[in-house]
Amino acid sequence: MVTASTLMETRSPAPNLRPTLPAAEAGRPAAPAAPAGQILIDIDHVDFFYGASQALHDINLKVEDKKVTAFIGPSGCGKSTLLRCLNRMNDLIDGTRVARGSIKIRGIDIHRRDVDVIELRKRVGMVFQKSNPFPKSIYENITYGLRLQGVSNKARLDEIVEKSLRGAALWDEVKDRLHASGLGLSGGQQQRLCIARAIAVEPEVILMDEPCSALDPIATAKVEELIHELKTRFTIVIVTHNMQQAARCSDKTAFFYMGRLIEYADTQTIFMNPGNPQTEAYVSGRFG
Amino acid sequence: MDVPSAATSAGFLANKSKFHLLGLTLDDCIRVFFGGNAVVSVVVLALITIFLFKEGFGFFGQNEGNLRVYRQAGLEYVDIIRAQQDDHTALTRYLSDLRVRQFKTMVGAGKLSPAAANQALAGFDDFAGRFGDAVGPIRGIVSDLTEAATAIKDKFINVENHKEERRQLLAAGKAAAAAAVVIDNVDFSAELKPLLATLPAYKEANAEFSRQLTAVLADAPVLPAAELQVRMERFKQLVREYLAGFPVVEQKLAAWDYTRPVPWYQAFTSFIFGREWLTASFWQDWYGVIPLFIGTLMVSAVALVLAVPLGVGAAIYVNQIATATEQRFIKPGIEFISAIPSVVLGFFGIAVLGQALRALSQVTWLAWVPGFPFSERLNILTAGCLLALIAVPTIFTLAEDALNNVPRSFKEASFALGASRLQTIIKIIVPASLSGIISAVLLGLGRVVGETMVVLLCAGNRIAIPDFTAGLAVITQPVHTMTGIIAQEMGEVVHGSIHYRALFVVGMVLFFLSLLINYLAQRVVRRYRISIG
Ligand SMILES: Nc1ncnc2c1ncn2[C@@H]1O[C@H](COP(=O)(O)OP(=O)(O)OP(=O)(O)O)[C@@H](O)[C@H]1O
Ligand SMILES: [Mg+2]
Repeated sequence: MVTASTLMETRSPAPNLRPTLPAAEAGRPAAPAAPAGQILIDIDHVDFFYGASQALHDINLKVEDKKVTAFIGPSGCGKSTLLRCLNRMNDLIDGTRVARGSIKIRGIDIHRRDVDVIELRKRVGMVFQKSNPFPKSIYENITYGLRLQGVSNKARLDEIVEKSLRGAALWDEVKDRLHASGLGLSGGQQQRLCIARAIAVEPEVILMDEPCSALDPIATAKVEELIHELKTRFTIVIVTHNMQQAARCSDKTAFFYMGRLIEYADTQTIFMNPGNPQTEAYVSGRFG
Repeated sequence: MDVPSAATSAGFLANKSKFHLLGLTLDDCIRVFFGGNAVVSVVVLALITIFLFKEGFGFFGQNEGNLRVYRQAGLEYVDIIRAQQDDHTALTRYLSDLRVRQFKTMVGAGKLSPAAANQALAGFDDFAGRFGDAVGPIRGIVSDLTEAATAIKDKFINVENHKEERRQLLAAGKAAAAAAVVIDNVDFSAELKPLLATLPAYKEANAEFSRQLTAVLADAPVLPAAELQVRMERFKQLVREYLAGFPVVEQKLAAWDYTRPVPWYQAFTSFIFGREWLTASFWQDWYGVIPLFIGTLMVSAVALVLAVPLGVGAAIYVNQIATATEQRFIKPGIEFISAIPSVVLGFFGIAVLGQALRALSQVTWLAWVPGFPFSERLNILTAGCLLALIAVPTIFTLAEDALNNVPRSFKEASFALGASRLQTIIKIIVPASLSGIISAVLLGLGRVVGETMVVLLCAGNRIAIPDFTAGLAVITQPVHTMTGIIAQEMGEVVHGSIHYRALFVVGMVLFFLSLLINYLAQRVVRRYRISIG
C-alpha cells in the first residue's frame, strides 16, 4: 500500500512519536495499573453495510466506562462508520444496516425494536469533524438540546449554559457575548462550542470524530486538555488521525484497517509494544 | 513575417488563418456572438422601459386637462348635487333591505302567508315610497344641469377637435385650409351663467326636500321585532345626519368657482389615489388605479395564502421526508404545473373550478363559511385558487433549493442532540433556510402579480373596490386587476388618447411593483444568507 504509506507519513511524524510518549504518559496513571474499567459499550461481531458494500467486518470491541478510547487507522477504514453506529447516526443514510452482531450500551442492544433512538442520542452525544454550530446565538446553541427535552426554566438554562461553557473551557472567551451568533466564533471556539453543546444535555458517552482536524495546534491543545477534564464525567470515544493525539489523550486505542479491527489494547501497548505488525507499521508511520 | 521564425511558427499561423468571417477570427466570432446576445437583451429591456415611460408620462398632462374641463364645464358643480342625490338613493336602499328582513321574519315565523305579509307591510311600503319620492325635484334639477354641463363639455371638445384639425392641416402644409377652420373658443364664464343661475331654485327645492323628509320621518312606522326596530332607529339617525349635511352642500355650491385652478399634483394623485376607474363615459372619465390595485392585491393575497403552505410544505416534504422514489415523482410533477399554459388554467377556472366552488358554496352545511353561498362564479377566490397553482411551482422549486442549501451538518448536529425529525425541520432546517423561503415566496408573488390570462378570465372583471365591510366574505366578490385591464382595454383604445396612456401608467405601476418585489427578494437573500464556514 504505497499510497497509504505516503499519506500516513505526512500525517503522523513517526520518528519523534516514541520519545514524546513517556512524557505524555507522565501526567496520568499507566493504563494497566488502573482498575479494570466497567464495560459501557459492547460491540459484538458487528458487520455493517452501506447498501451492498460492506464497511465493517466482524468488529469486536468493548469500550470502558469513563475512559477515552481512540479509533485510529488509515482513511476509509471504517472508523467514522463504527463511531456513527454507536448513536445510530447511520440511520440517517438510506440503505445502511447492521447485518450481523449487536451493539450493547449498558447491556441494552441499541438496535432493539423498542429502543428510542432519540433517547439513545441524548445519552450518546456527538462532536463532528467540522464544527457545526447552528446559525443561532451561542446561548441558543447550547440550550437547543435542553429545550428539546422540555427544559424552559430560564435560571436553570442559564446555569447549564455557564456550566457547559466552563466545561468546554469557553466561558471566559464568550461570557460577554452569549447572545451573539455562534458562527461568529473562531474555528477552535466553534468546536469547543459544539463540545459544550454536546455536554449540556449530560450524555454518558461523547463521540468525537476527528474533532481537531480543522484546528491549529493551540486550539488542538485546548481541546485535548478539555478531553482530559471531560474524562472524569464522560466516556469518550475519539477518532483521530493524529498519532500523538491518540497517544496523549486516550487510555485505550483501537486500530482499524480495511473495515476490520486489527488490534485493540491499552494505548501504551499499541504505541510501545504493538502485537500486530500492521499496527506497528501504522503507528510508526511505516505503513505498508 | 520573418523568414527564420516562419518555420517554427508555421503551425500556429496555419491554424489561426483557417477560419475567417468578415475579417474576424473564430475567437472573435464567439465573443461577438455571446456578447451580442447579452447586449441585445439589455438594449431591449432599456427600450421597453423607455417606451413605457414615454407613453405613460404623457398621461399626466392629459389627465390634468381632463380634470380642468371637469371643473370648467361645470361637471364638478353638478356632481356636488348628484352626490346628495346618491346619498338619498343609498338611504332608500337601506329601507328596501329593511323591508326584505321584515318580510323574512314575518313569513319565516310561519304566521303569515307571503300575500298576508305583503299586506301587513303596506304601511311600511307607503312610508318608503314617500321617502323615495321626496327626491323628485332634486333629481329633476340634476338631470337638467347634467344636460347643460354636458353641452358645455361637448362644445369644448368640439373646439379642441377643430384645433387639432387645424394643427394637422398646418403640419401637412395646407395653410389655406387650416385658416378656414373656424375656432371660436368656449367662454366658460358665459356658458356657465345659466347653470349657476339655478342655485336659488335649487335652494328652494332643497328646503322643500328637507321639509318633506322631516315630515316623512315623523310618521315612520314602528316595527314589530326589536332587532328590526334597532335598524329603524339607525335609519332615522342616518337621515338626520343626511339632513344636517344640506347646508354644507349649499355652501359648497355657493363657493364653487370654475376659475379655481386644478393643482398640478392632482393629475397624479387622482390616478394613484383615485377610487374610480370609469372610461368611455358620457359624463366624466376617471382614471383611478385603486380598484385595480386592490383587485390585484386581493387576488394575489388569496393566491399566496393558498400557495405558501402548499409550496413550502411540499418543498419540506420532498427535501426532508420523501424517499428517493417519491422525490422522483413529486418534483417533476409539481414543476410540470408551470408548463400548463395559463389560458388553459383560466379556461379550467371558468368551466370547472368556478362552477365547483359555487356549487360547494351552496351546500347547506357550509353556510357558516364567510361569503358562502355566493352566486358570482368568477371572483377573487376562483382567480386566487388558480393563481396559487401558478405560484406553487415557483415557490416549491426555490424553497426546495433553499432547503437543499442548508448544510447537512446542521441536520446531523440536531439529530445527534436527540431531536426528532419534525423538531429538526421546524427548529433548524426551516429557520436556516428562511431567507431563501421568504425570497421564494416573494418571487412567487411576483409571478402572481404579473399573471394576466387567469385573472382576466376568472376574476370577474368588475371594476370596483370590493366591499370590505363584508369581512372575509370579500373574497367571493368579483374584481378587476391591473394586468387584466391592460389586456382587456389596450386593444380597443385610440392610440395616444388619455385612456391609452392611462393603461401605460397602470403598466408602470405593475413594473414598479415587480421591481420592488424582486428587489426585496434579493435583499432578503443577501441580508440573511447564513455564512457557512
Ligand atoms: N454514506 C456512505 N455511503 C456509502 N459508502 C460509504 C459512506 N460513508 C462511508 N462509506 C464507505 O465506508 C468506508 C468507511 O468509511 P468511513 O467514513 O467510516 O472511513 P474513516 O475511517 O472514517 O475514514 P476517514 O479517516 O477518511 O474519515 C469507506 O470505504 C467509505 O467509502
Ligand atoms: Mg471519518
